[in-house]
Amino acid sequence: MSSDTALRAEALGKRFGLRGGWALRDCSFRLPAGRVCAVVGPNGAGKSTLLALAAGLAAPTEGSVTVLGTTPAAARPRVGFIAQDKPLYPQLTIAETLRMGADLNPGHWDTDGAEQVVAGGDLDPEARVRTLSGGQRTRVALALAVGKRPELLLLDEPMADLDPLARHELMGTLMAQAARGTTIVMSSHVVAELEDSCDHLLLVGGGRIRLSGEIDDLLAAHRRVSGAAATTPLDPHTVIESRVTGRQLTALIRPAGPLPGDWRTATPSLEELVLAHLRNPGAPALTPADTADTADEEEHAA
Amino acid sequence: MTATLSAPAPVTTAPRQIRWLLRLHRPAVYTWAILVVGVAGALLWLWGPLTDAAATAWHDYRTTCARDLPCRYDQDAILRYKDVYQYTTAVILAVPFLTAAWAGAALTGREVEAGTVRLAWTQGVSPLRWLAARLALPALLVTAGTGLLALLHHVAWSAGEGRIDTAKHWYDVPTFYSGGPLIAALALTGLAIGALAGLLTGRSLVALCVSALSVAVLWIAVQMSLPHLWPTVAGVAGRGRFPTYSGIKVEEGIVTSTGAHVPASTCASDASAWCQRFNDQRHAAGFYVDYHPYSHYWPLHLVPAGLLLALTAVLTTLTFWLLHRRTTGTPTKAARAVGAGRGGATGAAR
Repeated sequence: MSSDTALRAEALGKRFGLRGGWALRDCSFRLPAGRVCAVVGPNGAGKSTLLALAAGLAAPTEGSVTVLGTTPAAARPRVGFIAQDKPLYPQLTIAETLRMGADLNPGHWDTDGAEQVVAGGDLDPEARVRTLSGGQRTRVALALAVGKRPELLLLDEPMADLDPLARHELMGTLMAQAARGTTIVMSSHVVAELEDSCDHLLLVGGGRIRLSGEIDDLLAAHRRVSGAAATTPLDPHTVIESRVTGRQLTALIRPAGPLPGDWRTATPSLEELVLAHLRNPGAPALTPADTADTADEEEHAA
Repeated sequence: MTATLSAPAPVTTAPRQIRWLLRLHRPAVYTWAILVVGVAGALLWLWGPLTDAAATAWHDYRTTCARDLPCRYDQDAILRYKDVYQYTTAVILAVPFLTAAWAGAALTGREVEAGTVRLAWTQGVSPLRWLAARLALPALLVTAGTGLLALLHHVAWSAGEGRIDTAKHWYDVPTFYSGGPLIAALALTGLAIGALAGLLTGRSLVALCVSALSVAVLWIAVQMSLPHLWPTVAGVAGRGRFPTYSGIKVEEGIVTSTGAHVPASTCASDASAWCQRFNDQRHAAGFYVDYHPYSHYWPLHLVPAGLLLALTAVLTTLTFWLLHRRTTGTPTKAARAVGAGRGGATGAAR
């Protein structure tokens, strides 16, 4: 592999129309290759825009996005993408859809892989796409994306409209892909459905990156603390959220140093972490741009 | 992982793309084939048997009814010729509208609306190639089909000239447009307009209306500018006579005593006593008519067709530029260098 970065954004921004609002603004993050990354955020946060920019379906208004070490356009043959509404040609049969995938991805089409994904759903290859249910469409769209042997798989809300069984099956297929080394980026507005399977998080809120990094690192960087309101100075630490109930103070903080022993502390859950950041848009973001190494990445690419 | 992607990418993917383009637009391909074959058949019928039968009927008419003898002619043959001529002409004239509407609604508009472009543009074939296939193949089919129909129409019309009394003149507007390369150029421009409208609006119904209306506006513009796209011939006559001309009249007026041609909106002949006095007053020495004779038929087709093709080229370039801008991120220098270094897999992108 020539690059260990699957996706990198630098001051990325996208505005729709000349007078439209910013769907995404000033986004910088780096996603290492081989991760399963959750892009989480409320509806309208800019998740779909981010994925569309990475897939080369829209041009950034400002900044840049680098995919597999190159431009989204140049990375196109190596990236699989499934849009939120799982667009497929309704007049084609499943078998035709896969044959089309083979013809439009010459040289790197995985016939067996694609057929396995379809076969896993017990689908009739001769069924027309327009007769399929939501879950079945997702499966066909996934087969098309997987057949491409992508190094990076971008999935926009893949779980929406799926029943629990279909979700489970989809996650199984995705994890099998991840085991082969494919980097997977999937967006969702439901944190819980991604928590177990993802190891990297991108929290998008209000068109900005709020959190970015390995989920374990992000959790470790935060503490949920509680103590007596009068005697608990939060000053040196970054406070994401704090609440006083009676004389009791509870807060989610990013500790800047050792915490006093008389505080009760605990590691927050991912959901707590996400919700606290979304409830408090003013809280400072935590992204690798703050902490990490953009310089050595440049070297690596060259 | 790259190492497992063993097979090298083939040089061209065009035939495979075209196969799926034909598959996705199968109803349109069939419709076009039926339309071309049907109208071509009707025109061949018109050219041979119908023209002969109508000519014979007119001959019979002229030798019987016209000489106050009992009428003995095949009226049905004349009417059948007229009907088939009108219907085929109308269908040929509809082709630019049909092409534009289809291109706007189905070729690009519906794909953007239904989101299937996001499927098409994320395959191993670049969006620009996607568009190239989508424009090239329909352009070829439309040019070939419309060209064939226009040629047959011209031949069938020529066969009736001088033999059928009610045959249309060459400068009859529907006859003129349906019998030459201009109609194919209009259809091609319609295709380009439709493809652009579909991409821009992203809504098939809107794109359909916009493209069809644009073709109508364009056609009116062509019709208005047509007489001025080629130098005219002047027919001149002295006072008290009418200048003789045959074809498309562009301008008329008076010839002054110095021989200059001055356009006149009224009394471009001595048709009435009042005009005679009026022309005396303005010292008219004669009259002229600027017109296009039949010998200008081909230039009058080819010059506007050339202009339309230039417009089509501009629209197509605009469409490509728009798509390129939409689907290509702003490349940084570092990214470009990496892209070049990757070779094989990246090379297939464009």
